[in-house]
Amino acid sequence: MISLDTHLPIILIATPILMASIMVLLRKQPGIQKVLSVSVSFLMFIVSIFLLLQVWSGGIQAYEVGEWGKYGIILVADLLSSGMVVLTSFVSFLALIYSLDYIEEKSLSASYYPLFSLLVAGLNGSFLTGDIFNLFVFFEILLLSSCGLVIANEKGGVTKSSDKMEATFKYLVLNMLSSFVMLIAIASLYATTGTLNMADISVKLSAMSEAGTLPWHVFAIALMFVVVFGNKAAIFPLHYWLPDVHPTAPSPISAMLSGVLIKVGAYGMLRVFFLIFIDTLYIFKPVIIYLALATIVVGAISAVAQTDVKRLLAYSSVSQIGYVFLGIGFGSVYGLTAALVYLVNHAIAKSMLFLTSGGIIHHAGTRDMRKMGGMVDSAPLISMMFLIGAMSIAGLPPMGGFIAKLQLFDAGISEKYYFEIAIALIFAVFTIFYMFRAMLLMFWGERRDVNEHGEYSTDATSPLIALPIIVLALGVLVFGLYAEPLIAFASATANQILDPQLYIDAVMTTRVVR
Amino acid sequence: MNNTLLSLTIAILFGIGTFLILRRDIVKVIIGLSVISHSVNLLIVSTGVFAGTKVPIITDDSGHGAAEATGTIFTDSLSQNILAPVLAAGNHVDFVDPLVQALVLTAIVISLAMTAFILILAYRIHEEYGTTDIKELRRLWG
Repeated sequence: MISLDTHLPIILIATPILMASIMVLLRKQPGIQKVLSVSVSFLMFIVSIFLLLQVWSGGIQAYEVGEWGKYGIILVADLLSSGMVVLTSFVSFLALIYSLDYIEEKSLSASYYPLFSLLVAGLNGSFLTGDIFNLFVFFEILLLSSCGLVIANEKGGVTKSSDKMEATFKYLVLNMLSSFVMLIAIASLYATTGTLNMADISVKLSAMSEAGTLPWHVFAIALMFVVVFGNKAAIFPLHYWLPDVHPTAPSPISAMLSGVLIKVGAYGMLRVFFLIFIDTLYIFKPVIIYLALATIVVGAISAVAQTDVKRLLAYSSVSQIGYVFLGIGFGSVYGLTAALVYLVNHAIAKSMLFLTSGGIIHHAGTRDMRKMGGMVDSAPLISMMFLIGAMSIAGLPPMGGFIAKLQLFDAGISEKYYFEIAIALIFAVFTIFYMFRAMLLMFWGERRDVNEHGEYSTDATSPLIALPIIVLALGVLVFGLYAEPLIAFASATANQILDPQLYIDAVMTTRVVR
Repeated sequence: MNNTLLSLTIAILFGIGTFLILRRDIVKVIIGLSVISHSVNLLIVSTGVFAGTKVPIITDDSGHGAAEATGTIFTDSLSQNILAPVLAAGNHVDFVDPLVQALVLTAIVISLAMTAFILILAYRIHEEYGTTDIKELRRLWG
């Protein structure tokens, strides 16, 4: 009897890949596919919680794939990566339940399930890997599978297929360019240090830095990683693909993209800059902070002018990821804690808002907010849920977003970043404005002109669509009313990130078979 | 001399690729992406190439001593400040780094998948829009 609990990291990556191939084989039996994919997704959520508990009680876990020690690929589960895996599994489980009723049957059984499993595998892999080239491979897996998912058709067909093509083309070209940049950076890093293991690179670079022989091109490599992760997370000069891709994707995929996928960029930033380039951080902290501020400003101003509900949410994602990067840029324990709390709260609230927007689109038959109005009477559940999400994003108590913003601003003030916090605060007011403008346009006021725009759909919201939204809304409320566990966890994670020696020890003491 | 030519090739390929990506035709953009990916692949291979090196096979003959014979250390020992691999003093093995070739294979396979996907996407865009001019892809603006 092999004990499974030592193999949790590889199970979290291998099972979704296996499921992807099984789903392709089962495409003629949609019933089996449905039950199997949902139950396996739930199982992955349980496994990820087990992994988190293991890391919480037993310290950082390093898992050797193929038992080659530090020369082979190592999967490392520390608090940050296992926490991100729990978040991914949670959001993807709910998004999968939601898509059962939302995605068109033909597209669902032929391509949706396999690609969704691959997306989960790519996400889990990029969070868990300890090898920088492996990180690149998982980035490509999640890029390709998310491209396939953006094109998937939803029921009703509100989004034209030509729009999906155009958005995917932009997404793919920009992300291919950023993956070339990442390859160049990895090759240069390998040529400099002679290893691909992140912990090993960190040891060698800090040895060079101590000896005063850190080559100048390490700074250029670090800048390339800013570009790579900035592109994944849609940071200011690289955010142009996001407002096209996230609205055209089907709503559960928008929830995955906005909730989890752009967080991969933030995760990469935390992992690479606070482990490998810790000696160059004194130059890059201001860079990250000012890029984050520009992102907040551009995202918030663009969101104010939107008339398309999903496009508004997408621009809001751009603005909110700026706040996460602001916390990362502060670089202190408190700043990182705030960034992580913000990240979790935004992931849950924004996934929920995108799922809700799917319900809104079905109800109104359009994405244009000017053609809606007075929906609070005909769709009370959806409007209630949208209000909860909007309050959380806007940072109003008692929702989770309030705690996140409070922590972030407090961290900034205690670090004496007054100017930065002032700008962030002004645009937090913008956030309240654009979220409630959307709320007023869609749900308040007169019912829309029936002769001009047609009657609202009379179909009741299906339970499979309502359930994930309600669960996420409960999450938002719980993190707002009882935030201490999350803050304590984020604080422990931040301490672990800022002490790279723990990570290095865990990786370097793995057994070498020879 | 060799390295200069190699660097020059990589730089020129990268330049051609960048030029093609900035063209208006979708097909040219895709070709540009392929050219850039090949220049990046060359760059990766070039990081393992040094003048006068041999194939990366450790044998007993011709100066490539086996691990036991030359006292090469493959195992880390942090307490003794040993970061593997360490060659014993006086021993000198020149070989081409084999890992970069494995990396480049992975990168080629990935860029193959990407190119296949983006070519089909370009075909579908041509079906939907009736053009391959990238300036016509503006339905999402505003």
